[in-house]
Amino acid sequence: MAAATLLQPDLNFKQRILSLGGADLTACYQCGTCSVVCPISTADNPFPRKEMVWVQWGLKDLALSNPSIWLCHRCGTCSAYCPRDARPSEVMAALREYSIGHYASPTFMGRALSEPKYLPLLFAIPIIILLIALGLLGRLAALPEGQVVFSKFMSTTALEVIFIVATALALVGAALGGARYWKAMSRLDFGFWILDFGLRTGRPQSKIQNPKSKIQLIPTLLDILQHRKFRQCQAEPVGTRRTHQEHLFGAHLAIFYGFLGLTLTTASVMIGLYVFGYFTPWPLWHPVKILGNVSGAAVAIALVVFALRRNPDQARPGKNTYSDWLFLWILFLTVGTGFLSQGLRMLEMAVLAYPTYFMHLVFVFFLLAYIPYTKFAHLVYRTVALLYAAPSGVAERSRPQALAGASAPPSEGLAP
Amino acid sequence: MGKKVGVYVCTGCGIGDCLDTRKLVELAETECRAPVVRSSSAFCLEDARLIRDDVEQQRVDSVVIAGCSSRVNAEVFFFKPAFVERVNIRERVTWGQPANDPETQSLAEDYLRMGIVRAQKAAPPVPYQEATERRVLVVGGGMAGMAAVIAAAKAGFEVVLVERSPRLGGFAARLHRQFPKHPPYRDLEAPAVAATIRELEQLPGVTVFTSSEIEQIEGQPGRFSVLVRREEGSAELRAGAIVLAAGWMPVEADVLAGYGLGRYPNVVTSVALEEMAAQGRIVRPSDGREVQSVGLILCDGPEDAAHLPYGGSVSSLVALKQAMYLREQAPSATVYLLYEDMQAPGLYEYFYRRVQEDPGVLLSRGVVRSMGEDSDGGILLEAEGTPIGGAVRLKVDLLVLSTGMRPATLGPNGPGILNLRYLQGGELPTSAFGYPDSHYICFPYETQRTGIYSAGAVRKPMDLAASAQDGAAAALKAIQCIEKSSAGAAVHPRVGDLSYPTFFLQKCTSCGRCTQECPFGALELDEKKRPVLNTNRCRRCGICMGACPVQIISFNDYSIDMLSGMIKAVGIPDEFEEKPRILALACENDACPALDMAGLRRLQYSAAVRVIPVRCLGSVNSILIADAVSRGFDGVALMGCRPGDDYQCHFIRGSELLRRRMDNVRETLDQLALESERVQVMEVTISEWEQIPQKLAELDEIVARVGPNPMKGF
Repeated sequence: MAAATLLQPDLNFKQRILSLGGADLTACYQCGTCSVVCPISTADNPFPRKEMVWVQWGLKDLALSNPSIWLCHRCGTCSAYCPRDARPSEVMAALREYSIGHYASPTFMGRALSEPKYLPLLFAIPIIILLIALGLLGRLAALPEGQVVFSKFMSTTALEVIFIVATALALVGAALGGARYWKAMSRLDFGFWILDFGLRTGRPQSKIQNPKSKIQLIPTLLDILQHRKFRQCQAEPVGTRRTHQEHLFGAHLAIFYGFLGLTLTTASVMIGLYVFGYFTPWPLWHPVKILGNVSGAAVAIALVVFALRRNPDQARPGKNTYSDWLFLWILFLTVGTGFLSQGLRMLEMAVLAYPTYFMHLVFVFFLLAYIPYTKFAHLVYRTVALLYAAPSGVAERSRPQALAGASAPPSEGLAP
Repeated sequence: MGKKVGVYVCTGCGIGDCLDTRKLVELAETECRAPVVRSSSAFCLEDARLIRDDVEQQRVDSVVIAGCSSRVNAEVFFFKPAFVERVNIRERVTWGQPANDPETQSLAEDYLRMGIVRAQKAAPPVPYQEATERRVLVVGGGMAGMAAVIAAAKAGFEVVLVERSPRLGGFAARLHRQFPKHPPYRDLEAPAVAATIRELEQLPGVTVFTSSEIEQIEGQPGRFSVLVRREEGSAELRAGAIVLAAGWMPVEADVLAGYGLGRYPNVVTSVALEEMAAQGRIVRPSDGREVQSVGLILCDGPEDAAHLPYGGSVSSLVALKQAMYLREQAPSATVYLLYEDMQAPGLYEYFYRRVQEDPGVLLSRGVVRSMGEDSDGGILLEAEGTPIGGAVRLKVDLLVLSTGMRPATLGPNGPGILNLRYLQGGELPTSAFGYPDSHYICFPYETQRTGIYSAGAVRKPMDLAASAQDGAAAALKAIQCIEKSSAGAAVHPRVGDLSYPTFFLQKCTSCGRCTQECPFGALELDEKKRPVLNTNRCRRCGICMGACPVQIISFNDYSIDMLSGMIKAVGIPDEFEEKPRILALACENDACPALDMAGLRRLQYSAAVRVIPVRCLGSVNSILIADAVSRGFDGVALMGCRPGDDYQCHFIRGSELLRRRMDNVRETLDQLALESERVQVMEVTISEWEQIPQKLAELDEIVARVGPNPMKGF
């Protein structure tokens, strides 16, 4: 057996997780009920039970350097069954939130997005950039005359420069964060952490294959597109309280494809503009326009569902953290100001339409540029975790008989 | 005999539909020649009056009621001064056997014969009474002892408290804090020692001897004569009953040597930590530095069981308490608590949660496998089996080892605590783990010496709150003992039994076996080495009667002559009838109720079985078994309790002694050229009634295999 690790608890980390909505963590007495009911837990990887003790003991490296916390889709079954109301699903959510800040590159951005005092600064950046652009375009003195056309207000080129740069920076940040996470996982060799509960002894049964040699990109992407993990979350009836599983799959699917649609819309507009010289605004009946509006509506509806489902939960202390709400509001305001500017444009209310459009751009900037640091970063980390775990089979699970109801989805493995 | 027997055959509860009760009446009248015989279906209702009239007007002095089990309607069928014998033809016959079958009828008739014989041979017991002392002696002035004194004094009894040390309070007085005793069970408390001492001192009738020890105790419940050794010389006093509350002692230090105790200065026991905390700040013993990390380990892993085979909640709660005050003293310190089992029973769950809420207390299951010291005096631990993931290492400034609790009676002063002047020795016999106890589930507080009750941590590991409750409860048992002894009645488990064994000493061979086998040390020897009974120590089990090789021991209502007569009363069909007969001698405490339960559930078992209740299998003299076999019984079932460390016997050693006597029985059977497997010992617990048909069927099979008893007809 390898030399045992010297444990060096980081109590500040523990305190931070407690304050990020994991306050009930202390009640955990490691019975393991959560791991029995969790759809992604395996015999070798008793998630989230082991994460609970790692946080209790302030073992930051262990808690943050494993794929499981991002394989979890927060169905809440563990919290529903927990006999001591320790709410493991909230602790896992807090861990994810913490890890976004932890792996953020540059590090400052992680802090900026997690503390309210930096919010004005975060808004000031796009406002100043956009104002400078407007100043350079000479639009600060007066609004454009005549029919409301947003490209008369903010030139397409300027938007392209600003947003391409912002997106590029975001991509770099995301790539760095993802890489740091991957590296941390490889270092602790987590794919096959077989725990010694005193029930068995000896080395883990098998060593992970070098994950890099077997990255399963296509299956993982298919997994994400199908929301396969989300679907696993809805299998069994719950214990003593409600879970999130009833709404998560549908709402997230809507928001996911809504964003995909919006991205396609943007791409189509670019292609239309540059390849075919087809200037905006396009009429409402145009298929691309329809795609954009339907996608926007899907996002908006999903957001409402998420927000409504969050509200009854507010009775639970410490559950909804700042970054949770920030993310929801930014999404909501982005979509909201988008629709509003479109409506105001069609109503020819120039005085309102242009400032609304400006605000819309600010929110879009916020959303795009800060992707790796907001809750949006789950896109990055969850994908990394899925990619990392896919070859090891950790993401797969043969469900315990007791819970595998007739309606349980077959767990056909994508990995050969 | 000069006894007037009245026989009352009940026809209710389905008895009349199953049996020919007229034949039973006829049998009582003609064969047994009972002067009064009646039959009714309502003896337990309005016709109880008929029996009462017979007792009062016809001078019937022995009432035989053939009907339901003696476990029901005891208060209805109580006709003082007559002796009442209940013949159970309801649960044992009617409810378990086919109706109107000749074997069923024969079974009922045999039971009636046996009952009438018993009634003829038994006399109502006459209590043995002597003046008794109504003072309670309490040994040990800790929490349990003080609670015992308070409870007894409040009940109006005089109490004498003997405490070895110069002041009261026991271990509680040495504690820094105790874990919560009051809602919301989240905060540590100061031990309530001073208040308890004040309360005790204000009560009337309480005498406290501190710096005193028991020099010797003689006598029996109600008449203990006690010599107390004091600095000012000995004091003599008399007591009716004794509460032993001598407390506990920590396990020997060498038991914990594997954890570095004694080798590394910064490894201490939980007792040492408590004393350090009581005196002031907790520091590292090696250099007096403040502690920044502390390891508390419960030492309750599988390997620790070799040193102390039992655990308890106390060490868990002590560790939680110490974690809490360590953190209060040093809010930046980290406290690790490793355990194999965390036990916080009852309301202490709130306390456990409270400690869990402290982010600086890190709790985990785990067993310490190895340890060492680093260059600056810190302790390095390696623990296995943690949920954290395999083996882990920890570095702490101070390591605290949970101290196991052992009864003070096992300590260096243990043997001298009571100094009993009993033939069987000066100490209290112990249970499996060395505690002076008789049966911790069925008979808490009762030791194996009648009239001496143990309470507090000398009885089992427990905390202060439990000790206080324990002391009060044991005091009430002591009072019960005084009251029963003064009435000449048994205290327990045969509460209120007025019978006691008498010895026909002219025939005594002075073998001394009865004095050795008595589980309660009730018998002493006189100058001719003959037994002398201390009646109030006796629990009336009859084990002495089973032991006596010359059968000179008997009770008024329970004797070898009586049992033998009952055996002989059974009609044995001759061998050509192919109707085997099996005698079952069944323990009254467990086997008999189990047989009744089987009847209640209408379970049918072998109709060849004739059951005779016995007080304890230990009271079965081997001559009875030989009697039964020579009488023609084809098999004998000895139905009783489980022996061993987790014995079930109410009299501790009865079933064990019977097994020893079985060797003699087998020898006797061999001499008679009879198969010794005809005699089978069966373990029956009250809850295993459903197994009774199966167990008896096995004996049936043996009898079928070895064939009928060749002694039939002799």
